[in-house]
Amino acid sequence: MALHWFAIIFAWASVVIFFAVAVYRVVKISSMPLGLRWEVYPIPHEARDRREYGGSYMEDVDWPKKHERRSFWAEVVEFLAPEAIEIGTEIVTMKKVRGHNRYGIWAFSTLLHWGIYLFVLWALLLIVQSLTRSALLAAVAGPLLVVACAVGLVGAAGLIVRRATTPDLARYTAPIDYFNLAFLAAIFVSGLISWAGDPALAGHRAYMSAALTFQPTAVSGAVLATFLLFWAFVVYMPFSKLLHYVIKYFLYHQGLWDDAFKTKGSAADRQVIRQLGYRVKWQAPHIAAGKTWLEEAQMISPEGEKK
Amino acid sequence: MSRQPIRFRDIARLTDEPLNPLSADELMPLPALSDVPELTPPRPRWLENYDLSLDGFSDFDIPMPKTPEERERLVRGFLTGLEKLLDPETNWTFAKLFRLSLDYCMRCQTCSEACHVYLGSGRQEIYRPTYRSEILRRIYQRYFTPAGKLIGPLIGADVEVNFKTVWRLLELSYRCNICRRCAQVCPAGIDNALIAREIRKLFSQELGIAPTELLRKGTRQHLQAGSSTGMNPAAFRNSVEFLEEIIEEKTGRKITIPVDKKGADILLIHNAGEFISWPENPAAFAILFDAAGINWTLSSDLLGYDVVNYAVWFDDVELARIALQHVEVARRLGVKKIVVGECGHAHKALCVIADRVLPGDHSVSERPRESCLPLLWDIVRSGAIRFDPSRNDFPVTLHDSCNVVRLMGIVQPQREIVRAVCSQPLREMAPHGVHNYCCGGGSGFAIMDTLNFSQWRNAVSARMKVKQILDAFGDVLDPGIRKYVIAACSNCKGTLREAINYYDLWEQHGIWYGGLVELMVNAMADLPGPYITWNEEM
Ligand code: SF4
Ligand code: SF4
Repeated sequence: MALHWFAIIFAWASVVIFFAVAVYRVVKISSMPLGLRWEVYPIPHEARDRREYGGSYMEDVDWPKKHERRSFWAEVVEFLAPEAIEIGTEIVTMKKVRGHNRYGIWAFSTLLHWGIYLFVLWALLLIVQSLTRSALLAAVAGPLLVVACAVGLVGAAGLIVRRATTPDLARYTAPIDYFNLAFLAAIFVSGLISWAGDPALAGHRAYMSAALTFQPTAVSGAVLATFLLFWAFVVYMPFSKLLHYVIKYFLYHQGLWDDAFKTKGSAADRQVIRQLGYRVKWQAPHIAAGKTWLEEAQMISPEGEKK
Repeated sequence: MSRQPIRFRDIARLTDEPLNPLSADELMPLPALSDVPELTPPRPRWLENYDLSLDGFSDFDIPMPKTPEERERLVRGFLTGLEKLLDPETNWTFAKLFRLSLDYCMRCQTCSEACHVYLGSGRQEIYRPTYRSEILRRIYQRYFTPAGKLIGPLIGADVEVNFKTVWRLLELSYRCNICRRCAQVCPAGIDNALIAREIRKLFSQELGIAPTELLRKGTRQHLQAGSSTGMNPAAFRNSVEFLEEIIEEKTGRKITIPVDKKGADILLIHNAGEFISWPENPAAFAILFDAAGINWTLSSDLLGYDVVNYAVWFDDVELARIALQHVEVARRLGVKKIVVGECGHAHKALCVIADRVLPGDHSVSERPRESCLPLLWDIVRSGAIRFDPSRNDFPVTLHDSCNVVRLMGIVQPQREIVRAVCSQPLREMAPHGVHNYCCGGGSGFAIMDTLNFSQWRNAVSARMKVKQILDAFGDVLDPGIRKYVIAACSNCKGTLREAINYYDLWEQHGIWYGGLVELMVNAMADLPGPYITWNEEM
């Protein structure tokens, strides 16, 4: 019984840990200083006629005078939506990997990612089914689990083989990278075994109901293993670089696609002014010690200052 | 020739032998050329005094640390610098993207095929975009993360830092053009170019080590003498007189070029290298602006006549200093805006990157800074000048400066201009626009020629551009047909000039190069004769 209690508590704890750590990381990244502009085109939120060829507002004369304050709605429609579509398309199709990777990993990588998406969808579906007792969802859940696990397993196994047998990939693949793939493969194998022993997923549904109602119930070892592995993965993910799908937002939205120019008195301007008050701690001869960035920027010959 | 694969920890190898020696037959083939130069070995004297242990090439004529204390100091300085790079406040300018790029690479190698240096080298491992990043990542993990300290080998944190590691990493950071084509294709948004730049920055800002051409004779000279060329205001004024003579000689027009005109609409700032190497370029600007009736001026103030900002490639402190001086010049003159001449990195530095180190009244909203290209297209569109495209009746291709195109999204104005002033259709390179390949001179390589570095640039980093040019002119390679490569960027032009020379492209195939404004003036219907000077006429 202790194990079944553990399986319930672990489920909740893993979700809490996942969100707590992910939010902590996101907050930590967001609170880092505003960096310099460093965009790379094409940028999805540029005007529609320019987006295709990678053009920008800087193709116009007098662009700094054409700044318009956008409404919240325009921000969502013209900025965030095109960015979300671009990131979403990459997540679903991995088009950059398909277009540029020569090591034959696109198919496996796409299958692995789809395996994960479908597995998460399956878990969510099971929750809804437990709450609604929908017969339709119960019927769909079995095939969905099989497809998710089969697809994900082919992807994970294929990537392990590809990485291990392609010298250019093998050199860059650390034990931790194999571990991540093996971890995912283990979830998918366990999922398939649990399904084989219980194609109607009675045990899976029983476990999910138990977890939702805090009423432990006995389920088979295979079902338990599938869920425990999955929850362990949920805990592990935010501590690892597997959180890259969240981090992508920062790398794109606040990095590669951040083309916002600064207007006097804006929030960005105020933040820059604050940051120019930081002390410069670098020590090369052409940098004077103990000055702020603003003071440092006004110096021409800091070597003289140092004497 | 097959060789032992290079492991990451080999970077620490305590030998002077190059980790990855290059030979010409391993480089990417250039089938259209019958005579591709061999690589010449470094001089024995260099090998005795300097460190060429990465690939047998270097721009650093700095004696290696000899004593254990000197070596230890170098290693300590490097690790202290790395710690500062990782610190959000000390490195506020780029810490966020830098750290995320170190932490979240999936090691998929999708970026490799985007890199012209890697491809041009014949896919030599050390030039892969991820190679230097992975070395730094492994050092960072080993020395700065709990996981790396506890279970280092399991996460790949296995690179030891000794003085050789430090030196080879310095060299590696100068084997990337920071063209950011790799960042464009990375599915995770990782920026290997930024990692290369941050390594350079560590060396410059913490240890004072950077190529002589970029720091001592670059940004330092720029700030102190007024120009990275060493040109002082008096020499600049002489150059302006010289431009006026060129204009009169070539066009018969007597133009007085405005200098230090208070309250002008436009302060035009060129890369001062143009006055020395390609004076017909600033002269062409003067002809066009004069003919279009633009209220403009040049400046003879310190830094006001040299728009370069080399620091954009390696040093944030110097970047801020130079950008501040540029906008101060505009303020003193009371001009409405700064327009950057045909200089790619200066475009990006002044119009984009420096925006967030220039506060308040220096914000771009108050003191606008723009590219010359949209303005030039406006001039063409306005009809103020009559152009006769038949005067440019020769094959042309267009090299896209990475800084102007991929990094600023200015793609169409220059193409519209070419269509308006040339009679033959523009031969686009493959790929082009924001997906172009760097000329091979980006991030300072164009001006770096200490020891044997320029040979490496010509042979490796410029190789893909040479191939693209040859491909674009594939059906007209006969040397009797003159062909023009447009490069609206001083550093790209410098690189092309050297590459054309190195590969003998003029003699073998009649391929020449020049700026965009020269081509425009060449097509001005009201001028008596051709403006472009081809190689044989020089
Ligand atoms: S930088 Fe991007 S494309 Fe290159 S290996 Fe890392 S994740 Fe893959
Ligand atoms: S920035 Fe350009 S040169 Fe540097 S690694 Fe990336 S693609 Fe190669």
